[in-house]
Amino acid sequence: MAVSASDIRSALSLPSSSTLVHSITPAPRKSQGQVTKKPEGISRELYALIGPSAPSLVAHLAKPRLKQKPNFGSGGKVKWEWRPFRNAGRTDSLQLGHWVKAGDDPDAEYSFTKYNVQSQSYTYSQEEYIHKDWTKEETDNLFNVVREYDTRWYVVHDRYEPPPDGPARSLEDLKDRYYSVCRKLIRNRPWAGDEASKAQLLNSYQFDKDRERMRKDYIASLEDRTPEEIAEEEALFIELKRLEQNERKFKKERDELLRTLLGIDSGLPDIVAEEDGLSALSAEGFKKRKKNANEIDLPSTPSNIISLGPPPPKRPHSAKSVAYDAQHCIVRVEPPASSTTKITHTPVHLRSFKLPAPKAALLPKVTQTLTELGINHTRLVMPTRENCARLESLIEATTALIDTKKVVDRVEQDIRVLRIRLGRASEGAEEDGKEGTPMEVDGGPGAGADIDADADADADAEGEIDGRAQSILSIRSGRGRKQSRRSMSVSSIGTSASTRVGKRQKRS
Amino acid sequence: MVNYGGDEVSALVLDIGSSSVRAGYAGDDIPKAIIPSFYGYKATSGDGDVQMSENAPENFDSTAKQTPSDAKLYLGQNGPSIWREGMEIGNPIRDALIFDFNPVPALISHALVDVMRVNPSEHPILVTEPAWNTPANRERMAEIMFEEFHVPAFYIANTGVLNAFAAGKGSALVIDVGHAMASITPVVDGFVLRKGLVSSALPKLVQAHARHILSNPTQTRRGIELLPHQLIANKLPVEPGAPPRFTLREDRISGTTESWRVWCESREVEEWIQSVAGVLDQGWNDQAAASRSPRQYEFPTGYNTYFGPERYQVGEQFFFHSPQLVAQNPNLPKNIPTLLSESLRACDPDLRQVLMGNVVLTGGGSLFPGFADRLEAELSRNFPHVKIHAPGNPIERRYGGWLGGSILASLGTFHQLWISREEWQEHGKPIVGQRCK
Repeated sequence: MAVSASDIRSALSLPSSSTLVHSITPAPRKSQGQVTKKPEGISRELYALIGPSAPSLVAHLAKPRLKQKPNFGSGGKVKWEWRPFRNAGRTDSLQLGHWVKAGDDPDAEYSFTKYNVQSQSYTYSQEEYIHKDWTKEETDNLFNVVREYDTRWYVVHDRYEPPPDGPARSLEDLKDRYYSVCRKLIRNRPWAGDEASKAQLLNSYQFDKDRERMRKDYIASLEDRTPEEIAEEEALFIELKRLEQNERKFKKERDELLRTLLGIDSGLPDIVAEEDGLSALSAEGFKKRKKNANEIDLPSTPSNIISLGPPPPKRPHSAKSVAYDAQHCIVRVEPPASSTTKITHTPVHLRSFKLPAPKAALLPKVTQTLTELGINHTRLVMPTRENCARLESLIEATTALIDTKKVVDRVEQDIRVLRIRLGRASEGAEEDGKEGTPMEVDGGPGAGADIDADADADADAEGEIDGRAQSILSIRSGRGRKQSRRSMSVSSIGTSASTRVGKRQKRS
Repeated sequence: MVNYGGDEVSALVLDIGSSSVRAGYAGDDIPKAIIPSFYGYKATSGDGDVQMSENAPENFDSTAKQTPSDAKLYLGQNGPSIWREGMEIGNPIRDALIFDFNPVPALISHALVDVMRVNPSEHPILVTEPAWNTPANRERMAEIMFEEFHVPAFYIANTGVLNAFAAGKGSALVIDVGHAMASITPVVDGFVLRKGLVSSALPKLVQAHARHILSNPTQTRRGIELLPHQLIANKLPVEPGAPPRFTLREDRISGTTESWRVWCESREVEEWIQSVAGVLDQGWNDQAAASRSPRQYEFPTGYNTYFGPERYQVGEQFFFHSPQLVAQNPNLPKNIPTLLSESLRACDPDLRQVLMGNVVLTGGGSLFPGFADRLEAELSRNFPHVKIHAPGNPIERRYGGWLGGSILASLGTFHQLWISREEWQEHGKPIVGQRCK
């Protein structure tokens, strides 16, 4: 069947088909080449039936490409051959045969030999042997059986036969005997490895006969229960479950009630915060910080925080509880009066966690000042209540000192600037003659406003003072630009100050 | 190849049971040759029929029961089931053990050479044995294999262990209900716990009970004649329950031996059991038994009738014996619940739970409809977590021992356990006991 037309032609020594066709029919059939190519995803037979007239069908069929047929192996045929082999696990010369791939190494070791694992076993000599209950023969016998069955204890117990006149041995007896002998051997023989591995090995031969026997007794008694006893136990168990469930339900209801009546003060852990999550937290935190700062600087200034309503009624402290607290050195921290939300609810904490810390902006300066005094404020050796209070007052005092120093510096700077300006004014008296006194008047309140606004200043004090001075001048004086420009050139401010100026103006 | 641990060395597996001898290649899932263990024999030669001549030259101390070694044997599918004048029927197995070795080589040879068409001297062979086999028996089997069949290597494995392997388990409680014996074998890590091994001739009792039901008259019918079709010349169809109308082959009656007649009758009983009998899955209950639909069965004589509750009485014998029956027969074989509790009592308490989670039900005698369900009901009454592995495929259930042998002998790690010819010649018989634990 495999004979092709060309083969026949060559056999009959006829000219090849192409030349023949060309010579006989000069116009070859082009239609063969013009037939549109079979689209993918459609079988040849189907295409021959429907022709190219079903494009939609083809498009539909072409979409899901079938999974490629799996290619088993490299595609070629694998030659197998029957080959005799020897098993290294055997001591004799038995040769068995099996089918292997022809390419495999004939001298390779039999691949299943590696599973032939021998377990370790101990031997001992006559001199080492001393025991009252077990004779050496019996122990020998036991060791042989154990070796033969690879310490499968159930099988060992099944196959072990005590000597005819000897006592019957239980599984625990056998195990105990074997393991105690092994332990003794390990302990008394010279040991090549380190102590840890020896201890580990000893541990693996640990066996507590009494405990094991007790466990077996428990199992036996468990199995010996009558159906009535089992039913009773089950009933009791169900009753227990029911009671536990009731207990849980009762506790839950009680907590619910407490929460409703006392709210945050109930001290229950899972109180739901009414405020909306994170944004509330950050806003609240910001406001609080701001407020504290104001209190430190100018306590009299009316704060711009929205009042959060009256504080919740305090829990009435009965005389008894006060006495109890005093007796047990319990100090109750009053919740901050200003809020009722969860954020301000302070759970139990260590006092040292709440050590007062100066504001971040002032921290280096405070540290510097304290270091000059030789005090380290970051850690209290003994954070008792008194010590904490004293540390807090110390830091407050230091902050106040630094603030005061800042104000003093600023005022001095202003004075210097104004002095210089005054000197110039006296030089050009015609131009700025009338300006002297109002400037001095302006300087005072300007500085005062600066102090007020300085609470949350973050940048370098020098530049800020300059920038502020300029801003005040430009607003308050409201006169010639030349002048302000000049003052700028004199004090040589960084450009960064100008943006801050705009903000300040709005605020003040 | 190494991935599944198999390495086939074209070993043969031979499983000799009470009712059939199974032989095949290791690695196959069903035995290639299944021939009956029963064989016909004639003490006098001179018959030119299909036959196998006993070729074992040596003589044993033959008891009266044993087949004379020079007898003509009729083996296989065309052996005992064909009527021959004066042909006796024999079976080398008693209580699942080979007690008569004379016909055994012929049986093996028939299975291997005539049916399988293999040359035993080219293949290692794995033979099975029941767990209670005697050392002398297994040594004799090794001797037959090495000296008569010249096998290159031999191994003898326990049917309990092999049944566990066939179920894919290393530890199992194998409940094997065969043709002659029911046994319960605890297997741990591939070893039989001999102390927990129990067996009884329960299937024999069930067959006897069935025969009793059939041959004794009841209120509605007379006793049924259990004549094989070989002895019936012709018969006419009759209504159910009507007396049969048939004629005997009178020419054969005189030439029929007693043993052949007994064998044929027991075959009729067995066939009736196989097609009709069942087990009530929730214990005996008159109402439940009566509510099951009766089943029609026709005997070779043409007699046919419907069998109702009595077909469940047969299977009930496996699980429950009435007190008066026990009182009458002190040597009554123990029923399965008794065997189970006896076996488990001998096992370690730790093991019981493991075994109950791996119960393997096997053997052709367990193919009664409802047997596995009943067993499960019996077991779960006493144990909380019972899992029974009972193959639904009858081939797997009947030839579980052979299947396990087929698995074992095709494992790569097994090949170092073979007793080779060289070892046999060097060590002699004791090697069997040392190697096959």
